[in-house]
Amino acid sequence: MQRRWRVWLMSLAVILALAAFPLVTSEAQAPGKLIRLTFYYPVGVAGPLAKVIGDMTDKFNKENPGLEVVPVYSGDYDPTLQKVQTSVMAGNPPDIFIVEISELPTLVAMNAIIPLDDYVKKAEGGKYWDDFFPAFRENSILRGKIWWIPFQRSTPVLYWNKELFKKAGLDPEKPPQTWAELKDMAKKLTVREGNEVKQWGVTVSGGWNDWLFEGFVRQNGSWLINPEGTKANFTSKEAEEALDFWVDLMYREKVGPPHSTWGSTPPDFVAQRTALLYHSTGILTFLRNSAKFDFGVAFMPRNKTFGAEVGGGNLAISRKIPKERQDAAWKFIEWMTSSENAALWSIASGYIATRQSSYTLPAMKEFVAKDPRYLVAREQLRYASGKMMAPNFQKIREILKRQLDDAVDGKLPPAAALAQVQQQVEAVIKR
Amino acid sequence: MSWVARRAAWRRRLRLNPLATHLVVGLVALVTVTPYLWLLSTSLKFKTELFTPTPRWIPWPINWGNYAEMFDRAPFGVFLTNTVIVVCGILAVQLVTVTLAAYVFARRRFRGSNVLFMLFLVQMMIPIHATFLPNFLTLRSLDLLNTRMAMMLPFFASGYGTFLLRQAFKQVPRELEDAAVIDGCGGPRFLWHVLIPLARPTLVAFGLISLVSHWNDYLWPLIVTDTPDVRTLTIGLGMFVQQESGADWTLLMAATVFVTAPLLLIFLVFQRKFIESFMFSGLKG
Repeated sequence: MQRRWRVWLMSLAVILALAAFPLVTSEAQAPGKLIRLTFYYPVGVAGPLAKVIGDMTDKFNKENPGLEVVPVYSGDYDPTLQKVQTSVMAGNPPDIFIVEISELPTLVAMNAIIPLDDYVKKAEGGKYWDDFFPAFRENSILRGKIWWIPFQRSTPVLYWNKELFKKAGLDPEKPPQTWAELKDMAKKLTVREGNEVKQWGVTVSGGWNDWLFEGFVRQNGSWLINPEGTKANFTSKEAEEALDFWVDLMYREKVGPPHSTWGSTPPDFVAQRTALLYHSTGILTFLRNSAKFDFGVAFMPRNKTFGAEVGGGNLAISRKIPKERQDAAWKFIEWMTSSENAALWSIASGYIATRQSSYTLPAMKEFVAKDPRYLVAREQLRYASGKMMAPNFQKIREILKRQLDDAVDGKLPPAAALAQVQQQVEAVIKR
Repeated sequence: MSWVARRAAWRRRLRLNPLATHLVVGLVALVTVTPYLWLLSTSLKFKTELFTPTPRWIPWPINWGNYAEMFDRAPFGVFLTNTVIVVCGILAVQLVTVTLAAYVFARRRFRGSNVLFMLFLVQMMIPIHATFLPNFLTLRSLDLLNTRMAMMLPFFASGYGTFLLRQAFKQVPRELEDAAVIDGCGGPRFLWHVLIPLARPTLVAFGLISLVSHWNDYLWPLIVTDTPDVRTLTIGLGMFVQQESGADWTLLMAATVFVTAPLLLIFLVFQRKFIESFMFSGLKG
């Protein structure tokens, strides 16, 4: 028995010793004066993007001796925010990070990031900032300052299945332009067998339906939260009409599924279970690789006007690091968002290139010439606006999503659902 | 027919129908195994074969490339080694701490033991997310961030395991301990020779729970580690799930096969042992 104890203890000791092996990244700062920067990034769309980020940082490190950016994959947007918040509160912030654009007020309230105005003004002879698409710039600005730089950015668009259009006797080259046309076509595109729906007319993807809903409100000429994140406006007549239109599609006419998840609807579209799909531009590459039929990309239909929300993530610099590290971090951000690299990133990921000049570069021209569908989202940017943002945005998102779900289930009339959102969101904003 | 006779007949019928029993068990097994088969099937498909109006079970043509591509995306071999070290390390320490703590709570009387045990129970009720920041700060001051130890240290003690084992130890009658003490087998020797063998089913159950839950742990490893050389399998898996565009299904499924396979193998190999240990209950003279 004695010996067996010893064996156990020995193996325990070995395991612990192995585990305690410290592999701290910040220790090797010996030769010259190497500044090592940590960069947290989430991966938002399919594809080997972790690899692309790795290649880009490698290139930057090679071109900039004395600097080394260490990319740290940090999960989806939500885990990334959590990782950033934990390390900021622990006084151990990453130097550079990307989080979802609606989190800006949260980060500013935490005093986690620095304004970048001074850097931005000097960059590329002063022409840097104005080259970003105006809609992408909106979510960078709070209290008159520029806080972060657009990087992985998208908008929702409407995808349509040309084959199913033909089958329903519709012109396969004419996607719906207005809400009325959308409803009309969706009715014709819905296929039922008895009570069972075999094919939905239109799917407004769930999961991020708060994001899509904001777009519908824009298309109806109104807004939900002001850019400063201080005022909620969920009870406008326009918002009510927008939600009523959803209830029309998903509850009264039953031409769209009331429940879905963000990840399940692109496969539904590929499997031809829905003829029209509202989703992010980020899935275009996935659809191209997976769909066996011809499909198109269109603007989201208008009611009073075309309208869309931008989405995605921006690059920020931490506040609680020394000035020389912040300078180095800016150097990296400026490099990552140069016209060439914005184009490269767009080609690799399917995100919209954030800079207007990117589209004049040969590589980008060649890329969009092969598939002009990649240009639709960029064209739609003319009608796009900033995504709503406020402190504690994750909570606001949950509130809005719950009421949207209840409304399209027919549990609550649109006006009542939105009145509840208004009340709850106001409570969150005031705190 | 009297009630007794009817019951006997019912019993006979039950016993007479091993076929029916097998059928029912087989059906349940089928339900359990279906998702796994679908997983295997999807991991061998091409992206264009993935979503068909009617589900297709047999992938054709077979695409082994998903597995190669998955290893190309992230160092899954390293992740596997790290996961095994972390999970086994946690379990090894837990077994020691949990057994000793449970022994004291179940068999020793001392002042404040009830209050202390209550504290253990309260610890179980604190959501894990609430402990992230204090744990992170502790690890930072120990300079252990971005190590495998960082993923293990917070779990070395387990309120749940202590509770589970204490209950098991409590069920062993006082008389048995008295007899053992008279025979000169008291204190730690009683724990080692009597209590632990008797509580083996509980230990195995706890071991399984600990193994699986730490194998599947995602957020904590993600927060305390930065570099691929110390990270675990679940983080690799996370790379195939994307918020904006859904998932990379074929790769995700291939990776899931790889991530779940070791657990499955362990269970298949030790299946008999596990079941035996659950059957082994009650007191043996």
